[in-house]
Amino acid sequence: MNLLTVIVLLPLAGFVLNGLLGQRLGKPFVSIVGCGLPILAFLAAVRSFLLLQGGDGTALVETAYTWAIVGDFSFDISLYFDRLSAVMTLIVTGVGSLIHVYSTGYMKDDASYARYFAYLNVFLFFMLMLVLGRSLLVCFVGWEGVGLASYLLIGFWFEDPEKAAAGKKAFITNRVGDAGFLLGMFLVYHTLGTLEMDRINAAYSGDVLPAVSASLVGILLFIGAMGKSAQIPLHVWLPDAMAGPTPVSALIHAATMVTAGVYLVARLNGVYLHAPEASQLITVIGASTAFFAATVAIVQTDIKKVLAYSTLSQLGFMFVALGVGAYGVAVFHLYTHAFFKACLFLGAGSVIHALSGEQDIRRMGGLAKKIPVTFVTFAVATAAIAGIPPLAGFFSKDEILWFAFSSETGGSTLLWLVMSGTALMTAFYMFRLLWLTFLTPSRMSHETEHHVHESPFSMTGVLIVLAILSAIGGFVSIPHFLEPLLPMPTAREALEHYETSLIVLSVVLAVVGLAGAVFVYRAGLARADALAARFPRLHRLLSGKYFVDELYDAVLRRPLHWISDRIFLGIGDRFLIDGSLNGMAALAQRAAGRLSRVETGSLQLYVLFAVLGVVACLAWMWRNG
Amino acid sequence: MDRVQFLVALSVALFVVGLVGVIIRRNALVMLMCMELMLNGVILSLVTFAQQTGTVSGAVLVFLIFVVAAAEIAIAIPIVLLLSRQRKTLDVEAYSELKG
Amino acid sequence: MSLESLLLYLFAAGALLGGVLMLVARHPMRVAIALIGSMISLAGIYAILGVHVIAVFQVLIYVGAVMVFMVYVIMLLDVRDPSFTSKYSHLLAPGLGFGALLAAVLAYVATRSAGPAAQALSAAEPGASFLIQPFSADFLREYWLHFELTSVLLLAAVVAAVAVIKGGRRNDG
Repeated sequence: MNLLTVIVLLPLAGFVLNGLLGQRLGKPFVSIVGCGLPILAFLAAVRSFLLLQGGDGTALVETAYTWAIVGDFSFDISLYFDRLSAVMTLIVTGVGSLIHVYSTGYMKDDASYARYFAYLNVFLFFMLMLVLGRSLLVCFVGWEGVGLASYLLIGFWFEDPEKAAAGKKAFITNRVGDAGFLLGMFLVYHTLGTLEMDRINAAYSGDVLPAVSASLVGILLFIGAMGKSAQIPLHVWLPDAMAGPTPVSALIHAATMVTAGVYLVARLNGVYLHAPEASQLITVIGASTAFFAATVAIVQTDIKKVLAYSTLSQLGFMFVALGVGAYGVAVFHLYTHAFFKACLFLGAGSVIHALSGEQDIRRMGGLAKKIPVTFVTFAVATAAIAGIPPLAGFFSKDEILWFAFSSETGGSTLLWLVMSGTALMTAFYMFRLLWLTFLTPSRMSHETEHHVHESPFSMTGVLIVLAILSAIGGFVSIPHFLEPLLPMPTAREALEHYETSLIVLSVVLAVVGLAGAVFVYRAGLARADALAARFPRLHRLLSGKYFVDELYDAVLRRPLHWISDRIFLGIGDRFLIDGSLNGMAALAQRAAGRLSRVETGSLQLYVLFAVLGVVACLAWMWRNG
Repeated sequence: MDRVQFLVALSVALFVVGLVGVIIRRNALVMLMCMELMLNGVILSLVTFAQQTGTVSGAVLVFLIFVVAAAEIAIAIPIVLLLSRQRKTLDVEAYSELKG
Repeated sequence: MSLESLLLYLFAAGALLGGVLMLVARHPMRVAIALIGSMISLAGIYAILGVHVIAVFQVLIYVGAVMVFMVYVIMLLDVRDPSFTSKYSHLLAPGLGFGALLAAVLAYVATRSAGPAAQALSAAEPGASFLIQPFSADFLREYWLHFELTSVLLLAAVVAAVAVIKGGRRNDG
């Protein structure tokens, strides 16, 4: 039964149908095909999950196609469904379908409606390939494919050059990461002879260790994850990616694509368990990303940029969890994050829709009564991300903090302090966002205020569903569900009794964050502006996002541009290539000019040449008998 | 050296002298006459070998060559005449339309 | 050395001398005379060889028709042009050089192998077919077709000559 292949191919069919026929057959057709097929894929995923649970626990494997046979090795396109794949697939298809439905409302008036849904479907296809692939090769195809879909969707309104540039930035930054991924793949194939991830895990978990160190493989593959999941130093594309339509930001840059890196590390836990250096690197990078992104989010003024930096920060949390060995917990946080972050982004989309395009929170305020459904769902999701119990975010974040403190493989007090600080800041800036957007007195222009309206049901309905999931999703204990596959790290004995106090502490931090945000922003921006005036340099540093983009521009882009322009264009192309071609043409011309002097028009000269020819022939005949 | 070799050598000599004459003389009529000399050289070698075989076909061939040579000169000279009338000179170095 | 071989050498020398004089003389009339001399020496050689028919034809046709025509034309044309003052073209040196080369190569190739039967440098019996009567009988019996074709050729030559001169006349107006 080719259920897995069906799951993967349904969105592809949607892409083909919408792409080829959508423009001609009109919006209703596109909506039905574009949303219906992902919903069918979700149902198929549910069915596969039931099959998996009903069986004896071994994974479902399907080989869809044998791509190539080289020597004794055959590259198959095979799909693999175990508990981890099940969680990922259900999230991808489930949240994905909801966002597709939301898009029918949000993109209703857009001229390129069919193209949008075609791209969204193709994204889903590649993402499913990524999470269901058995070998690193299939995963990589999906990896690249989602990068492509991301580029297409970020630059969806490509007539605006800034938006097109944002798409390019995303793709190129991803490519840098992919170089690491490819090197890792080559290394693995060369030493282990296989690219199938379950076999790679088994190779490192067995008695005979493979020739190449797990850390090297781990670090190389993690570089790929850094690019895709926007960790420092490859994080620069995610804030710019907010140039795309808001449902795209919700789906790709919150719920699914950016979590591909997390999935990759979690899937290859067999490697990372035996790679302490790689795990340390992951922890450090995750923690720094989480902390720095949170500091930047405090001063952002665009509603989507706040959420983008928040996503960076939460991804950092997931990577910290992976670094200390708590793979299942990272996936749990991925799961809860998908719900509340998607809800937040879609809520932001609803706000933007209500305000006819306004995205600057300095010009919002007082929307709570005007768009109540959006407000309530946004508030629930904000509370979830801040970690207020008993919402979903509390459970997942708390487990991460616990293991950051106590794990034998990498946990430390310093790490816990950093992450708790980040959690505090998260609560602060998220409630800041909530207050400035909805609860402060209105700073809107009269024109905008007049036109504020609640979004249609296709949008608010999805918001309600996601808010409910953010609220109750935490009660499904994913880590325990995944424990047979992803073992939990052992906590240090001495620290076991701190567990309860830490839980209490994290709740306190969340409340402190809420109180702080209310204190500063209750009446609007006045207090915040005064604070900014007192620390101008710090404010400028944070607003400028630590000037990382400027640094890259100076260190990377300008020298490369200079090299391309002066050396490759000036010397290589113009001088060498054009010069040699022109030189050859000139040479031919001059040679022809010289040779044409033979034709003098003098008959006697021609006779002389004939004589020469005859002499030569006779001499040759004479010599050759 | 026997008679045949001698006569063939003479024929070669006449032919080469005629050819050299075509190359080095400037007057068009002199060039024509040198071409006649070349033809004579060739006829000499033909006659030498025809005489060896003793059949009549050799002599017939020589006779026909005479006829053709006469016809050829009958055409060539009027052409040279007309050319010289156009150019007002018999100097072949003036005829260089084939240049370039 | 018999008389025949002496005569052969004499006539050979005469032919060559005529050829060389052709290269050296300045006035075209002198060139024509040298050529006539060369041709008559050749006719002598043919006679010594015993091919009387061809000797007669040489004198009659070649000297008597072709060269006479040539002499008439030379007389008609004014020869005081640059080819008179400097009689050699710009290819004098290369022409002589390569001519010598060609002569050497040809001579070597031509005289390498001896004839089937090395005959002494003496007169030969006039072969039966090379006297007028037997020649003409054989000629017109076996080669009458070729004879007719040559008459066609001559007709074509006559027409061409007339056309050339008439066209030339029209151009001159």
